[in-house]
Amino acid sequence: MAIEIHPLEQFQIERLIPIHIGRLDVSYTNSALLMTIVVVLVTALLVLGTRKRALVPGRWQSLAEMSYEFVADMIETNVGHGGREYFPFVFTLFMFILFANFLGMIPYSYTVTSQIVVTFALAAVVFIGVTIIGIVRHGFRFLRLFVPQGVPALLLLLLVPIELLSYFIRPFTLAIRLFANMLAGHTMLAIFAGFAASIGLLGILPMGIDVLLVALEILVAALQAYVFAILTCLYLSDAIHLH
Amino acid sequence: MSEGRPPDPLGRLGKEIERAQAQRVRKEPIAGDRSALQAGLGVGLRIGIELVVAVVVATGLGWAIDRWFGTRPWGMIVLFFLGVAAGMLNVYRAVTGVSGAAGYRTPPESGTGSRRWDDEDC
Repeated sequence: MAIEIHPLEQFQIERLIPIHIGRLDVSYTNSALLMTIVVVLVTALLVLGTRKRALVPGRWQSLAEMSYEFVADMIETNVGHGGREYFPFVFTLFMFILFANFLGMIPYSYTVTSQIVVTFALAAVVFIGVTIIGIVRHGFRFLRLFVPQGVPALLLLLLVPIELLSYFIRPFTLAIRLFANMLAGHTMLAIFAGFAASIGLLGILPMGIDVLLVALEILVAALQAYVFAILTCLYLSDAIHLH
Repeated sequence: MSEGRPPDPLGRLGKEIERAQAQRVRKEPIAGDRSALQAGLGVGLRIGIELVVAVVVATGLGWAIDRWFGTRPWGMIVLFFLGVAAGMLNVYRAVTGVSGAAGYRTPPESGTGSRRWDDEDC
């Protein structure tokens, strides 16, 4: 069978509009195109959906309202009071990742969140933002986050580095979780599709598995967006209600 | 809320608002009281990667420190073990529902925490 499928080909970055500023390559790529589409779609859903401001919402309006309430609820339960002001940030994050993940499920499109640059940039924004919020709100008291209470001074020598490390690892886990899940899922889909294409009539089996995997991937797409948002909430809650 | 008591109808409204807000505050626990599915899935998906990433990142950091300061192999060794500890700590916290907190939560401290919420009441 001559059909060759490269499972990783789908993650190739292509320059659609090459732009170079000096030695800097800021070309408009397929990844950037997908991100633009994500932003446009999310904006369209929210702006057009809520345009009528009907008391009894129509389809689009309830979709917009549901996503609003979902995130508002998430902040309410995980951050509590004082978390309200960070709603726009968490909501933007959630919607962006959710739409990026979902758009990646469309065949021949591109999964932005399978690029670690993208997920790490998002995670870094969260991490730096949360740290700044903590420092602004509590000043030096923020450093108490790294000093467990009621511990002998000698043990602090060991525990403070561990606490520091576990704090600074947050952006990495946040970024790698999303990136790895998307990368692995989409690679697996392509591999099974490759089986289906290369073994002829028997290919119906891997094909069937692929169908099931697509369902799983859709679940993962939604869940990963949720996990990212909820962890952002938890980190925010740490920074706001310093204990 | 700290202003003097307004006349009767407004006072009653104020009381009602206070009661509603108290209910909302009660509804928002630091950890635990989320809907079961949410909590389960969230926690489950977190812990898988937590440990691995902690070890890998810490060891990588140790390797980098060794390169910069020429302390091979001590940075890598020490940070590997610290990474394992930090990863386990993160997993432990994720599982026990102590949120993603660094540092330990002690019950007496939560009193000041909840007072802060009221200060920031919108």
